[in-house]
Amino acid sequence: MTLDPSGRALSDFTVELDVYSGPYEWLLALILKEELEIFEVPLRELVNLYLQVRNPEAPNALERDTDFAGSAAALVLLKSRTLSPVPADAEDGEEDELSPEQLAERLTRYLMVRRGAEALRASFARNAGYHPTAHVLPPHPGRLRIEPEHILEAARRSFSRPAEPSVKHLGPITVTLQELASVIRTALVRGPVPYEDLVKDMDRLRSAVAFAAALSLAHEGHLTLLQSEPLGPLTLEPAR
Amino acid sequence: MNETNGVMGTPRPAHLVEAVLLTSARPVGVGALSSATGLTEDSVNSSLSALARRYSPETSGIVLRNVAGGYLLSTNPACSAAVERSRDEARPAPLSGAAYEVLSCAIYHGPLTRSAISGVRGVNSDAVVRNLIDRGLIAEVGTDRESPGSPALLDVTEELLVAAGSASREDFPPLETLVSEEELTRVRERLRSTERSTEVPPSETP
Repeated sequence: MTLDPSGRALSDFTVELDVYSGPYEWLLALILKEELEIFEVPLRELVNLYLQVRNPEAPNALERDTDFAGSAAALVLLKSRTLSPVPADAEDGEEDELSPEQLAERLTRYLMVRRGAEALRASFARNAGYHPTAHVLPPHPGRLRIEPEHILEAARRSFSRPAEPSVKHLGPITVTLQELASVIRTALVRGPVPYEDLVKDMDRLRSAVAFAAALSLAHEGHLTLLQSEPLGPLTLEPAR
Repeated sequence: MNETNGVMGTPRPAHLVEAVLLTSARPVGVGALSSATGLTEDSVNSSLSALARRYSPETSGIVLRNVAGGYLLSTNPACSAAVERSRDEARPAPLSGAAYEVLSCAIYHGPLTRSAISGVRGVNSDAVVRNLIDRGLIAEVGTDRESPGSPALLDVTEELLVAAGSASREDFPPLETLVSEEELTRVRERLRSTERSTEVPPSETP
């Protein structure tokens, strides 16, 4: 770490920590931009680093000390605020107060994860010296050939208007809502009619239009649709 | 030394496996080795056993590792200083304690969301997660469709298993074995005593 007394206050104070190495002011910026987690920054170590390079005889020593004390205090405040539990109503109010059992459960879970982290750190340390082969295969030439005529063909397909899809297989629509409404009215003369019975001899188009007609008649108050459960059998009942 | 079986140089099974492993910077599974070499999986396995003996840390500067569900030829850690000088590269910066905790969450509770990681650790872990994704140790593997906003699910990567020297996730010690019952009892006792000390005696209540 260095501290040049002739420079602007703290602009040339550089720090070397496990998680960061560089100018102190950049460290502050990284923390404020949340690029670096405040928990990872050992504040005590930071203060010690400053005290090691502090020169009380420097012309702007007071200004430096004041700047550092101010920024360090802000870091302490930020870290303590992050550590403190957030009141339930400060966020969304959904988090209830933890019972001692829940707290114990959460601490136990965290303790296990922390022990897992320690075991993992040891595994990383044991396996740090392995280097895999640095051999990289050259790009495979492949079999792709770009032929001019293929590009022309692709361009022709891209810019040509796609052919209209054939609709010859679709016959003329020969059923109307009024027609099916009439069928339903006739059927209801004899009493309630299950929808399945109503449409059992109809094709899919007529079944769909019959359903639409039933909805329309129900909307107009000519019949009532009865269904005991969702997706259950549907019964058409004449309006009383 | 006769390196081949036949006059025209038909390579031995172990040589085929060795050649494929040499050109791979990632672990290669037995199935992939079998496909590449045309050998049966049994033959690949016996070749790997032979290679493991040949590339043992005691006899070679190259070692055969069984990591991340496959096999990888790597330098012997005893030679790492020379390798690093030769390649003029330093090891990556060590991970912080917070980073190891996030990795531990991913190993034991993954796939999980960023908020689940923060929930386990009790603090916001987004910055650490970002750093670990950049280093390739965890990755987004899908989305949690049950949660509002379908947040990304994070899980461990092959790089993490290689870095930890683990063949698979099952290689890590079970979570329950990491904390002794005595330690858990101590935590619970401490909680109870804290609770008792913060309780207001009935006589002091208004």
